[in-house]
Amino acid sequence: MKFALTTGSAGIRLSRRPVRHSLGEGGSLGEGGCWRASLPSQMRRALTWLFVLGLLVPAQLHAAETLPPKPAQYFNDYAGVISPPVVTRLNSTLDQFERDTSSQVVVAIFRRLESASSVEDYALRVFNSWQVGKKGVNNGAVLFVFIENRRGWIQVGYGLEGALPDAVCFQIVQNELAPGMRAGQYDAALTASVRAILQAARGEYKGNGATVGDKRGGGGPGGGRANRFPFFLIFIIAAIILSFISRRGRGWGSPGFVFWSGGGGGWGSGGGWGSGGGGDGGFSGGGGGGFSGGGGESGGGGAGGSW
Amino acid sequence: MKKYALGCAVLLVLFVLIVGMAGCNSYNGVVGLSQQVDKQWAQVQNVYQRRADLIPNLVNTVSGAANFEKSTLTDIVQARASVGQVKVNTAEAPSDPAELQKFQEAQGRLSSALSRLLVVVERYPELKANSNFLALQAQLEGTENRITVERQKFNEVVQTYNTSIKQIPTMFIARLAGYSPKPYFAAKEGSETPPKVEFNFGTPAK
Repeated sequence: MKFALTTGSAGIRLSRRPVRHSLGEGGSLGEGGCWRASLPSQMRRALTWLFVLGLLVPAQLHAAETLPPKPAQYFNDYAGVISPPVVTRLNSTLDQFERDTSSQVVVAIFRRLESASSVEDYALRVFNSWQVGKKGVNNGAVLFVFIENRRGWIQVGYGLEGALPDAVCFQIVQNELAPGMRAGQYDAALTASVRAILQAARGEYKGNGATVGDKRGGGGPGGGRANRFPFFLIFIIAAIILSFISRRGRGWGSPGFVFWSGGGGGWGSGGGWGSGGGGDGGFSGGGGGGFSGGGGESGGGGAGGSW
Repeated sequence: MKKYALGCAVLLVLFVLIVGMAGCNSYNGVVGLSQQVDKQWAQVQNVYQRRADLIPNLVNTVSGAANFEKSTLTDIVQARASVGQVKVNTAEAPSDPAELQKFQEAQGRLSSALSRLLVVVERYPELKANSNFLALQAQLEGTENRITVERQKFNEVVQTYNTSIKQIPTMFIARLAGYSPKPYFAAKEGSETPPKVEFNFGTPAK
């Protein structure tokens, strides 16, 4: 969306700049300013673009390791080791669990750990990029299984740390998951682990019969849009006033006049540390059968073990 | 001519208005960020406290094991005591790097004492089979993870804060209101590395 306004012979121009920029942090907040521009138009345009680019640069400060994309289901067997009926059954159990308790429990079975770092560190980052659990409540938990590494790990969001303390997570992995995995009975191991996790997490929060996936039918949450609105308003008012003045007082017209409104780079516009939740139209299609992260966060809670 | 003056006046008022609003906005932004830093600092304190709270239980469990090395336990108890002696303001993040460093050194001593314990424990099969101890170990490791996470978040929040108060126009307002840059946790120290947990501040958590 571009914004360009020209008022006839008076030659008042609003600088064109993309309105939708995703500023992560440190965007300069609203510098208002205007000056008479007697510069050649090419130079003016160059300056405009320089300014816009300057705004965009901080957004690409960190490039992180590629993490697995947000899952579309609660039970995700990326390794293909669980029989399809069990996958379907556990998936609907976990879906129902979110409806009953609003807590999101997700299972992810990977062939191997695709990272140079530790399981703990990787699980935490995946958890926070998937945003499991409700925003603010952080009632999410993810059971990670790495088949070839023979490791299981339960990552717990802040809000479930009371129901699933590290010692309990450790015991679930040690007593429910590990024996079955060791024996090659993956279906039984996962069923028992999921049951144990749900048993521990049940009763901590109340649900309202719906899932985040249901509510998010189409279009992501427009988080930061509201923050920018007042600036926009100023922008428009300024434009109207300026055009009004220019129409009355002819003296203004000649040199061409460029006006900038700083535009709001917002602090805290997106959701948390992660990808901000926006633009995730890809998953959660198909009328409520899928998982959609609610914006939850984990602070490193959880435990695991090997077999 | 009159019209020209009127236009000028309107423009000036508009300019002042926008600059004023930008100023207010910057100030509010700095206040908000500074609050976030303090909140994260409290969170850091919280996870360190959690670790300190685990220690008596750990010491009890471990000392129950037959002829366990007493020197390792003494180290832990002493390190924990020295952590208690470092007075820090829990409500507000330190603005003095020396203060943060002192805090970090004390906690670092406790970290290394604990990691030594977990190494020594390997020689006691009796403990490795004790479910109480295993649960404690899981809690301890989980706490180390949390410490890593919260410290990292603290550094990120401080970075945002420090960046913002060095930027135009916030810089002027921050200087007027007396907001100064805050120190970071040191990225890595030899003694700070607990067992089985990776400190990689190089790649920020996403």
